[in-house]
Amino acid sequence: MTPLRLRPPRHKADPRARTWWTVQALVVFSGPSLLTALALLVLSALFFPGALPWLAPLTTVVLVLPALAYLLAMPRLRYRVHAWELSTGAVYSASGWFWREQRIAPLSRVQTVDTVRGPIQRAFGLASVTMTTASTAANVTIAGLSSADADEIATRIGAAARLETGDAA
Amino acid sequence: MTWQRLSARTAVVRATWLLPPLGSALLAALASGGNLDARCWILVGSTGLTFAVITLSGLLRLRTTRYRLTADALETRVRLLGSRTRTVPLTRIRYADLTAGPVHRLLGLEVLRVGTAGAGDLVLDALPREEARRLRERLAAQSDGDRTVLSAMNLRWLRYAPLTFWVFGGVGIVVGSAFRLLDQLGLEPWRIPVVARVFTDYGPGALWLAIPLTVLGVAVIGGIGATAVYLENWWRFRLTRSDPETLRVTRGLFTTRSVSMERRLLRGAELAEPLLLRAGGGASVRAVAGGLGDAEEARARSRVLPPAPRAEAVAVATALLGTSPEVALLPHPRAARRRRTTRGLLWAVLPFTVAFLVLAALFGPGWLHGAWAWCAASSAATWWLARDAHRSLGHAIAGPHLMIRSGTFSRDTVALDRSGILAWTLSDSPFSRRAGLASLTAAVAAGRHGYRIPDMAADEAAGFADDAAPGILREFLVPGVTFATSGNPTPHPAPLHPS
Repeated sequence: MTPLRLRPPRHKADPRARTWWTVQALVVFSGPSLLTALALLVLSALFFPGALPWLAPLTTVVLVLPALAYLLAMPRLRYRVHAWELSTGAVYSASGWFWREQRIAPLSRVQTVDTVRGPIQRAFGLASVTMTTASTAANVTIAGLSSADADEIATRIGAAARLETGDAA
Repeated sequence: MTWQRLSARTAVVRATWLLPPLGSALLAALASGGNLDARCWILVGSTGLTFAVITLSGLLRLRTTRYRLTADALETRVRLLGSRTRTVPLTRIRYADLTAGPVHRLLGLEVLRVGTAGAGDLVLDALPREEARRLRERLAAQSDGDRTVLSAMNLRWLRYAPLTFWVFGGVGIVVGSAFRLLDQLGLEPWRIPVVARVFTDYGPGALWLAIPLTVLGVAVIGGIGATAVYLENWWRFRLTRSDPETLRVTRGLFTTRSVSMERRLLRGAELAEPLLLRAGGGASVRAVAGGLGDAEEARARSRVLPPAPRAEAVAVATALLGTSPEVALLPHPRAARRRRTTRGLLWAVLPFTVAFLVLAALFGPGWLHGAWAWCAASSAATWWLARDAHRSLGHAIAGPHLMIRSGTFSRDTVALDRSGILAWTLSDSPFSRRAGLASLTAAVAAGRHGYRIPDMAADEAAGFADDAAPGILREFLVPGVTFATSGNPTPHPAPLHPS
């Protein structure tokens, strides 16, 4: 038996998605961490200057470095991993940055197709498409698509679902 | 059928929730010799007010709710100011369950719960028993007559009851509620003279005696409690089948439950062997079935066999599946065992050893004994558990089923209908990639939805998925031993295979 492997999906995420993920990292984790570190250091410098020698290295290691690492690494790794492909019969998506996931679901099982444009996504002209099925473990999300791609994918998945008349369960 | 009313006796059932607060107020009155403090009076007053409001609205609902069964639908109508009618087409009904609490049973009532494919359940609370059973029979198109009994309660199974979670968890819950009750009554348990004397005499002075005795006491009380819970849940348990449509579980001592499942929504079965139960040679069975309601309900309803001898569990699983779940499974690479050992060392051994060392640095070298003792004991446990976890791992294609086994604290063997697999997910992390491992998840529209084969050889995962449920990912497969690194322009080097 020749070993087989899954090849990566054909299409990468939109390049603007990198900026979107960077902003997301800033809003969700890196921004709050850096602000907390800054506040701690300023307060300490103003009121407890004696604490600075141990507080500065501590905040650097616990807050600043993880925040910067996440901010720099996550969007790049995500951009390398995120990809999608829509064939006549199935949708195939790769996602994640540390834990990666490759999911393939047949279009015949589609129940609904959602196109989501969050406030930050909209600012960059991006959108995500989620296809739901009867099983929560078979729902596929493709994030970081250009708005036009997202509309086209949603239309194509929807058309494939309408062709299928049987019970999607 | 014309519009019918719910049973008027339901009003009595609705009023019984008043008993616990009334009881505790009475107890408080007795304990304090009739001198209730302000807090207690406020409690009594507010309870009374709430009771009046709830009872009134409940009575109104009871008087205004009607139901009827037409040729093709079950309808309910609530007419109060406006009117609200709900129609459930009979073809959309996934299950019709009957439950009856102790009070319901005293009054000869049963609650009919009808689950649909779409919106939430339709509940008729409550109907006279005969009427409820007649209605259920017509809704589920099944008769109580000629049913094959697949399994029935055997009192000797009670020996497995103490091997469940309830041994220690149950005692915790009981002690917690007892404390809360005492607190509500304004009593402080450590002020009770007997308790105080026992504590000062035996507590700190004789730890070597107190700790084992406490553990023993908890185990004994927990064992009794677990047996009681087992009895209440599984008394007169029967798993029956009416070919070819439905499976039905009936069980319960004070509260009776009756759960039906359609065989066409059955996607497999799961043999559950938690560590303790496995040591005692027992197992329980869950059905992997769709249309059992939301996640929490589905978990409770999918149980088709209580902790019982393993042979019985295998027999029940075989009856559900059509083939035996006991097949030879493919083992997982040794790297999977190393990952489990590393996890144990990292999350159990290391943190507490470091904590003991810090304590030793702060409070003196006495704590060093704690450090080495913990380090030795937890390392040994990690070694043993990792070995067991690795031995538990396995997967196989067995006829129409995909078999997956994993877990050590709770070893679960799942058999999934291969034709019911909707989608595949392949997942990994930098650590598992370096070990040449990946996890494969099969999606089904039943049970837990995602069933994972953890840490199988990365090179074999895609091919195995294609063999197990052909067609889904065939078009994305290419020959090659390198595990796919999606979107990565430089292919990952072939993982080392230590096995």
